[in-house]
Amino acid sequence: MEAGALGVYIALFFALYFEVFLLISFFERKPDKKTFLMPKRYPTVDIVVPVWNEERTLGGTLDSLLGLEYPKDKLNIVVVDDGSKDSTPAIAAGYAAAHPQITYHRKANGGKWTALNYAIERSSAEFVGCLDADSFVARDALIEIIKKTENDPSIMAITPAMKVQSPRRLLEVMQAVEYTFGIFFKKMFDNLSAISVLPGPFSFYKREIFKTIGPFRHAHNTEDMEIAFRMHAHGLKIGNAHTAYVYTTVPHTVRTLLRQRTRWSQGFLQNSKDYAHMYFNRKYGHFGMLVLPFGLAAFVAGLYTAGFMLYSGVSAVVTWLGDIAATGIPLHLPSWHLDWFYINTSMLLFLTIAILVMTFVAILLGQRMSGTTLRPSYFMSYFLFFGLLAPLWLFRAAWGALLAQESAWR
Amino acid sequence: MVWQKYLLAFIITAAIFGTAFYLTNRLDARRLADIRATQEAISIDILSTETQFELLGNLDCVAISANPVLSEELNNLASRLSVAEENLGQNNPEVISLKKQYSLLEMKDYLLMKEISGKCPKVKPVSILYFYSNLGDCPDCARAGDVLTYLRQTYPGLRVYSFDYNLDLGALRTLLSLNRIDGKSLPAMVIGARAPVFGFKNLEDMQKLIPELKTLATSTSATTTKVK
Repeated sequence: MEAGALGVYIALFFALYFEVFLLISFFERKPDKKTFLMPKRYPTVDIVVPVWNEERTLGGTLDSLLGLEYPKDKLNIVVVDDGSKDSTPAIAAGYAAAHPQITYHRKANGGKWTALNYAIERSSAEFVGCLDADSFVARDALIEIIKKTENDPSIMAITPAMKVQSPRRLLEVMQAVEYTFGIFFKKMFDNLSAISVLPGPFSFYKREIFKTIGPFRHAHNTEDMEIAFRMHAHGLKIGNAHTAYVYTTVPHTVRTLLRQRTRWSQGFLQNSKDYAHMYFNRKYGHFGMLVLPFGLAAFVAGLYTAGFMLYSGVSAVVTWLGDIAATGIPLHLPSWHLDWFYINTSMLLFLTIAILVMTFVAILLGQRMSGTTLRPSYFMSYFLFFGLLAPLWLFRAAWGALLAQESAWR
Repeated sequence: MVWQKYLLAFIITAAIFGTAFYLTNRLDARRLADIRATQEAISIDILSTETQFELLGNLDCVAISANPVLSEELNNLASRLSVAEENLGQNNPEVISLKKQYSLLEMKDYLLMKEISGKCPKVKPVSILYFYSNLGDCPDCARAGDVLTYLRQTYPGLRVYSFDYNLDLGALRTLLSLNRIDGKSLPAMVIGARAPVFGFKNLEDMQKLIPELKTLATSTSATTTKVK
């Protein structure tokens, strides 16, 4: 076996191992089904909406928050404008005037993390949550969050099940499948107490933890990831409410998708460096032993496999063109053999099929857990395009981390 | 226990790898069995043709020329061997053994055709003995193989017999020494009964070297059988 192909087999082994581990976790502890039970107590909640030039979506986000099934006297919506230059302040002020549940603050631009800290410093609620202004919540999402924390009081922060808002375009439907896969992932990480990120759309914190671990940090433009790392470093539990649905707007152009994912991936690399002591450290449980090392391994394996395939593909094309020029054979279509003998039955093919089947099963489980409906065409776009696009942001993120460049938000 | 889960995941992953390995090997073994069966069938056919020829002498050249000897079967076999060699590697003992048998069948077919054409003036096969090496010491062999593949596709009547120079086979050594071919000048070709031609020749050169091609019928839908 060539050394290059050996690297691909190692990457496949890691990928399979990881998926097998998660599937074992699933069958070990299947996620609870959604119930109609209500919380025994309704704690006070502040939901922070950090905004910066969000005139297009802010209204919808606030409407969805106002529609939450939760006692109005227990829920405050805090809009923090981080120095917007469009009509966002006017929209926010309008909503604040019309709805006593909404308060509006305006500050100089400093980044999302500063807007969150601004609200947390002024909060007196038991729970503080966050909702990016490009996301919308299901009416019972907060109740599901609170029920989960009630059932397990050791949970200090909690994430929802994120879905894509009205996917239509090619990249949106591709991400709809990816997010459904993510719902499965997040629940399994919850089983392992190893959730690695508290995403902007509708993650909640017990406010008291900020006294222990401090406020949000810049954290390479991934404050939601860093705070999860920091919570693990302090031994604080992060849970997942897979029955709390949040719908988020996703990038629909390659350029914006690359920018978003580069920021996430680069943030993972740079936060990994800052928290390197947690890698392979049994003190941090599955987070240190599995999630961090496999996250980094997936990064390296993704880059390696893409590089190997690109090299092989380019080499084959260059050789073919050279052969055409040297032999003088006119261009002609290759002939096909309709015989099993000529079907590729390499080990690589069977392993790739195994990984695709496991991925498919994981997506179906995510779909069942979250009640999401994915059409066959969505799967097609995911399996056809995700593998082509992901190496691009992995490469950009690795390059950015190597040069210690700051990733872009938008 | 936590470590048991890590171990169980490892065992299941290793089992999936093992299953993939087993399936690949099982299918490769079936391919080899398929090649072996084809070779046996060809061997019987050659023996049958030889016997038929000996029985009839040169009395029934029409019957013989109407029944071209095994060219298609040999081409098909070459293609299957090429796949097996790619999958299992050129050093696989089973592949080497099958290649030796294949080379012997090619030689028998070549000799039989020579004999038939000697006795039957109307049977005039255009044949090429092609010698190659795939040990990495013949950078032009793959391209020479491509040209011959294309020619055979275009002219189904062209009989190309390809031989791996490095096969340890007495009959092949004799064929090489009769044609004065050594390993330093590969690729090498013997066209008909002419002196050997050494080195890579592109399609245009080959067409000039084999003027008889003009007498052969062309095909636009011939099956591909790659010449090594």
